[in-house]
Amino acid sequence: MPKLSLMFENKIVKEVSVGTRPVTIGRSPDNDLPVDNLAVSNHHAKVYFEAGRMVVEDLDSLNGTFVNDLRVERATLHDGDNIHIGKHKIKVDASGDAPVPWDSGRKAAAPRIDETMVLDTKERRQMLQQAAAMGESMQFAGTRLKVPTLVVLSGKTDQKEYVLANKLTVIGKSAMATVRLQGWFKPQMAAQINQRDDGYYLGAGDKVPSVNGKPLTGPVRLNDGDLVEVSGVRLNFVFRE
Amino acid sequence: MRIASGGVTDVGRVRSNNEDCFKIVEPLHLFVLSDGMGGEAHGEIASAMAVETVVKHCLDFDANPAAKVVGTVEPKWSARTKRLSTAVHLANRNIFKSAEANEEQRGMGATLTAVWIDDARLSVAHVGDSRAYLLRGGGLLQLTRDHSLVAEQVRRGILTAAEAEESDMQSVLLRALGAQAEIEVDAEEHTLFPRDVLLLCSDGLTRVVTEPEIAGTLQAETDPTRAAEKLVALANERGGPDNITVVIVRLDKDSKGWFSWLRGAPRKNSGTNGTGGN
Repeated sequence: MPKLSLMFENKIVKEVSVGTRPVTIGRSPDNDLPVDNLAVSNHHAKVYFEAGRMVVEDLDSLNGTFVNDLRVERATLHDGDNIHIGKHKIKVDASGDAPVPWDSGRKAAAPRIDETMVLDTKERRQMLQQAAAMGESMQFAGTRLKVPTLVVLSGKTDQKEYVLANKLTVIGKSAMATVRLQGWFKPQMAAQINQRDDGYYLGAGDKVPSVNGKPLTGPVRLNDGDLVEVSGVRLNFVFRE
Repeated sequence: MRIASGGVTDVGRVRSNNEDCFKIVEPLHLFVLSDGMGGEAHGEIASAMAVETVVKHCLDFDANPAAKVVGTVEPKWSARTKRLSTAVHLANRNIFKSAEANEEQRGMGATLTAVWIDDARLSVAHVGDSRAYLLRGGGLLQLTRDHSLVAEQVRRGILTAAEAEESDMQSVLLRALGAQAEIEVDAEEHTLFPRDVLLLCSDGLTRVVTEPEIAGTLQAETDPTRAAEKLVALANERGGPDNITVVIVRLDKDSKGWFSWLRGAPRKNSGTNGTGGN
């Protein structure tokens, strides 16, 4: 079962498991996890399970509840998180099975280590803000949209420029290709570009395209300004602002 | 185009129940996969409800072509893509309503990935982190983008793809059916070519089996059901940490009638221009 360990100066003072009932934390001795410190309110915070995830909620404490140094009113807890209350640290061990709230004897509960959960919009915003603050906020803050574009440098195509709007862009003679090659002996599907999470990848079709003069050996991520050559057509891959 | 398909779902090695669900509707060339979540048996309810709703709404396509479109659709989409996207919106509403009405179902949800093939046109609709891939030109192309926190962080340049695979936040979804009254559905259209292979899978496969391994299996085993069995077995060898579901659809040219031979002939000549097919 998941547990909370109250730490003080790197020593475990007390451990409690989080079951179906909420664990209360505070200075008053009637708490499940009493923390004897003046900076801690009588009923400071509670930790409980909700829809399969462990949640900490601040109970309007005077000095606040912090999760990994971020002050929170309510936050989802993950394995390895630290809750700070006053001068004390509470380590979160979420590695055990989540408690099964309804008649627990019915079925062996699946270990819920990897339990999938959905962030509602409010939490999602917080999480993304936090993630952005963690570093490399440059791309995150930049609201200018960069539009991936193929500019035709030479060769016969149906347009001079193509914006890569789909997850898959087909270059070929096919009537359904995005970049339509014209002329005899052109392959139906010469090459293709796949939009993935971390960028745009060029892959082979019936032909092996080359990037900056080098023939492809496998899918390759395109960088701003790359020169793509396939089936007699030269294309420039650029990010337009 | 000639279509052969097969699918397998497996509980895996760790979980006690299978919350994944899939359905192959052969005559319609419709393939739907869903991965449910929620305590007790509610993940199973959610994924089954998702698949049933989508299949039902699409089956109704011929009988009731003018059914109301739900959610935002692009005007250029085909009627099938609009229908499929609408079906996913309806599935979301059904799960959401059911969870609202039944206290014990609170928090249940499901991913959904569906493909619908109309000759050479493919419609894809998707919410969550179950993926659709296309094997073409020897490489695996991802047709969906996970609606997960880590994938979003990769898109924003906060994490690299490799870091995302190591992250312990992989189970956090930003979008799923049933979480909110209305959602956004990703839908797209693509063109299919002979020899294309489509693969739908739940994250139980992609967490433990790499893309090159998937591509290799699809190339080595041409029987869709056997290929799906092999992929599931591979995921189980790696510990089977989650439910695993794989649906495979293989496309081929129609039978070799004289007409298709005539049409196919010039294409073969063009092969001398460079490397041929494969």
